[in-house]
Amino acid sequence: MADAATPANWTPRGAWAGILQDGHLGVAGTPGVRIAARDGLGIASLIAPGTGAAALTAAVKARFGLDLPTKPAISHSATHAAVWAGPGQWLLLAENRDGFDDALQAVVGLGAVAEQSSGRAVLRLSGPKAREALAKGCMLDLHPAAFPVGMAALTSIGHIGVHLWRAEDGPEGAVFEMMVARSMAGSFWSWLSGAVAEFGCQVVATEGSTGRG
Amino acid sequence: MRITCPHCGARDAQEFSYLGDANPKRPDGLDATEAAMHDYVYQRDNPAGRHRELWYHGAGCHAWLVVTRDTRSHAIEAVEVASTVRSGAAA
Ligand SMILES: [Zn+2]
Repeated sequence: MADAATPANWTPRGAWAGILQDGHLGVAGTPGVRIAARDGLGIASLIAPGTGAAALTAAVKARFGLDLPTKPAISHSATHAAVWAGPGQWLLLAENRDGFDDALQAVVGLGAVAEQSSGRAVLRLSGPKAREALAKGCMLDLHPAAFPVGMAALTSIGHIGVHLWRAEDGPEGAVFEMMVARSMAGSFWSWLSGAVAEFGCQVVATEGSTGRG
Repeated sequence: MRITCPHCGARDAQEFSYLGDANPKRPDGLDATEAAMHDYVYQRDNPAGRHRELWYHGAGCHAWLVVTRDTRSHAIEAVEVASTVRSGAAA
């Protein structure tokens, strides 16, 4: 219902807008942890349990060049990725959201396909102390021997559902990407900002941001 | 207590929700006698020892699991994916 309080123009807003701010957090000096918002991703959930998975797997391979993982892992192409999200469930990620809706047509009808781009909040965690900071709340063993590059997991951190995976290593070692429901982004940041403060943390809220929600 | 989810690996029990005994099989609603439905809803063994029970990996893969656990020691003997375990099958 329109009323006087309704803004005339709706402005799209990134999932971390008003939560993450560019700058340095916690102890001064060389940052032990680096956090960057991953705004502007295209995100869709794909669900096709049982025998339905075969047709979906073939379609994703044909359209995106990706193998849908059958264990907790992420597979990449230059522009897209597929993350295991439970048996018969995946997340399809696109580096760029433009054109994502059209691309998704390749899998519509082959399972439950739901656009989630504005419903999730993703960030990247790196730096020499990234794993140590995560260990304060993550129940998984993220040591390289137990959690190699390309591995993914669904878990709970601070009572918040978190989907995380290990990206390609960066100049400072392991790189983790973490995704939470957008409605939990503020609460998750409340935990994460506290966990990283003792190591000093560089925050980049605007990297790759298209300004789109 | 840690439960080794067949999909996710070993996780703390706080990621899971407990439902109860995995063995009772629901009588057919139309043909069931009141007594059979009563037993299904209310009657449970309370063994000191081996127990097959349903757990839901809600903070993980969202799969239902059948966990075979010793109620005295919490030692877990087996964890199976419930969808692959025939409903009501004896251990
Ligand atoms: Zn699981």
